[in-house]
Amino acid sequence: MSRHITVDPITRIEGHLRIDVEVDGGAVTKAWSSGQMFRGIERILLGRDPRDAWLFTQRFCGVCTTVHAITSVRAVENALGLEVPLNAQYIRNLIVAAHAMHDHIVHFYHLSALDWVDVVSALKADVAKAAALGEKLSPWPGNSRQQLQAVKDRLAGFVAGGQLGIFANGYWGHPAMKLAPEVNLLAVAHYLEALEYQRKVNQVVALLGGKTPNIQNLAVGGVANAINLDNQATLNMEKLFYVKQRLDEIKSFIEQVYFVDVCAVGAMYADWLGYGKGVTNYLAVPDFPLDTKGTSFDMPGGTIMNGDLKTIREIKRFDEPYFRENVSENIAHAWYAGDWTRHPWDEETVPKYTGYKPDGKYSWVKAPRFDGKVMQVGPLAQVLVAFTLGHEPTVKWATKTLETAGTIAGAKLGPEVLHSTLGRHAARMIRTAVISELATRHWELLVENIGKGDVAIFNKPVFPKGEQRGFGFHEAPRGTLSHWIVIEDGKIANYQAVVPSTWNAGPRDDKGQPGPYEASLVGNPVADPERPLEVLRTIHSFDPCLACAIHTVDVGGNELARVRAL
Amino acid sequence: MDVRVIGLGNVLMGDDGFGPYVIKTLEALYEFPADVSLIDAGTPGLDLSPFLMDADVVILIDAVNASGDAGSVRIYGREDLMRPGLQPRLGPHDPALAETLHALDLAGVGPEAVLLVGAIPSPVTTGPGLSHPMRQAVPKAVERVINMLAVLGYPSVARPKPLEPDVWWERKPASTLH
Repeated sequence: MSRHITVDPITRIEGHLRIDVEVDGGAVTKAWSSGQMFRGIERILLGRDPRDAWLFTQRFCGVCTTVHAITSVRAVENALGLEVPLNAQYIRNLIVAAHAMHDHIVHFYHLSALDWVDVVSALKADVAKAAALGEKLSPWPGNSRQQLQAVKDRLAGFVAGGQLGIFANGYWGHPAMKLAPEVNLLAVAHYLEALEYQRKVNQVVALLGGKTPNIQNLAVGGVANAINLDNQATLNMEKLFYVKQRLDEIKSFIEQVYFVDVCAVGAMYADWLGYGKGVTNYLAVPDFPLDTKGTSFDMPGGTIMNGDLKTIREIKRFDEPYFRENVSENIAHAWYAGDWTRHPWDEETVPKYTGYKPDGKYSWVKAPRFDGKVMQVGPLAQVLVAFTLGHEPTVKWATKTLETAGTIAGAKLGPEVLHSTLGRHAARMIRTAVISELATRHWELLVENIGKGDVAIFNKPVFPKGEQRGFGFHEAPRGTLSHWIVIEDGKIANYQAVVPSTWNAGPRDDKGQPGPYEASLVGNPVADPERPLEVLRTIHSFDPCLACAIHTVDVGGNELARVRAL
Repeated sequence: MDVRVIGLGNVLMGDDGFGPYVIKTLEALYEFPADVSLIDAGTPGLDLSPFLMDADVVILIDAVNASGDAGSVRIYGREDLMRPGLQPRLGPHDPALAETLHALDLAGVGPEAVLLVGAIPSPVTTGPGLSHPMRQAVPKAVERVINMLAVLGYPSVARPKPLEPDVWWERKPASTLH
């Protein structure tokens, strides 16, 4: 008999992401992904100064602040054909790198680890055995017996005091939880240590960006970081070394902790390398520009179709026609007036809510398409594209990951296992390790360039009369983000943000093609319909971020999310 | 001592922007001792942790989901913020304040004291700008924060010439041909 399960977070306004699945014979047969909140936030920008757009777009989402800021200035620069000084590119790249490392570490340890780690089970761990295992896998000092004993004691105190709130979202004791108590203890220890690394990355963004979480140093045409190596008030050598030191510390955590943990979880849940594949058309854009025009990049982008690496087609420039001409959005199943497919420059956002109808309109999220095809975006897409194009650091870390996880699992793992729920976690970690290397490289490029006497940071934008159209993209933590702008007589006439979670969480289109979340859930096992942990595992592997809007503290102990199994 | 006054909320979403609005007003009207920092933190979800970590006192300002008239200002303590909700979380924005505080406590780096100055919003809409009741709640919240800091031993000084609060998100679009 088939059962229908709804996972629906409730908030003060409508809520954010709702997932519906039909389960038959212990597996998902059909799925729907629905954005439960109207965004339409771009309308705020109409009539404004394009130079101010980034300040507003940075507030679209409290988590993805810098990514919307950087994409916005790139869109305006593209519309004006404005070059960006090298120092500004490198400084932006360092902020991009720091933000991405921060976001990926938080995602693994604080947002999704509890899908795989049974915290309560860690209390049963043999500390000596856990330390031996930890020391075998990594030289990390946090894996010592003393450290792990301290974590276990503190956790025991928490549980004894009834303070499980922190892990209240975890399905502990669930039949799909398979890690040994010792592995769970190591994971809890690293969960806590990750908080400190979150702070270290934040310090890098704060120093370069002026403030966090909302940076202040951007400008259309460059950055506002005055450079003078002898001046205390500007970006100087002392501050640059502070940044370098933080980057080195973060790199150690990524290589000695995050890398090892993902390999271990991947090996111990190897069956999850077989679930969650879904859409295998992949889209990633190039990032980490190396020149003033955006024609040379340190991280490549492109498309792969039908999971066939031979179909690779590279996206090479900030003004790439292959990208510009192929992006569209369809609203056949989204709550907007009409049922069109349009290019972002020609879109209008007219909300028209008509109720949740699985066969009709059922989401506030539009369905983006690339040349009419559904695309998966995110770290997996980016890593597969870079791997296929022979990007040296990506090939190195991907190979190392597959070898290490394979050794722990006692099996030979090839790149094909990456098309899966756990493959998305592995790809995110591979990308983090690559970005950590790129951060060091762009720090060196910046110092070298300043050393040559170049202190330029800004080219002044000039807005001619008449219309200009532009687009900017960024390979953000959750995937390809693009902003599309139409400027008329120096003012914003249209603005659309096509965000990564829209690509992945979008509904079916006019041809009935399901979006990546929907496709990835089909075939997932569900052991207990009341506790659909497996559904969360696959959805979390995409790192959903749909809220992009609101924060109201709930002090009434009200229900914040619910699961309904019918 | 390390005292942090943190405004939470999205400035593009009507009354949800209350916290940042109060921060900008505090900055415009007062000067603060060196131990006190004011932060407009937006809606960081779990990314809030670096802002709370190792603080002695945290004073949060936010719109709150509570019953009462729009614009009512209420004070909450740590226990009010840490009630567990036994529910799955799908995205990074979902119940984050309680979870962040618990995680920091477990790691032994949680703030010593946490207070929340909350105001009850009118129905939240898309677009910048506070509703009339929330605008009236701003001076009340400012007063509460100033009093809390004084009681803690960190008196702030009213600026002899108050500045205009830098609530840039409320500025109307203007022509910009250069």
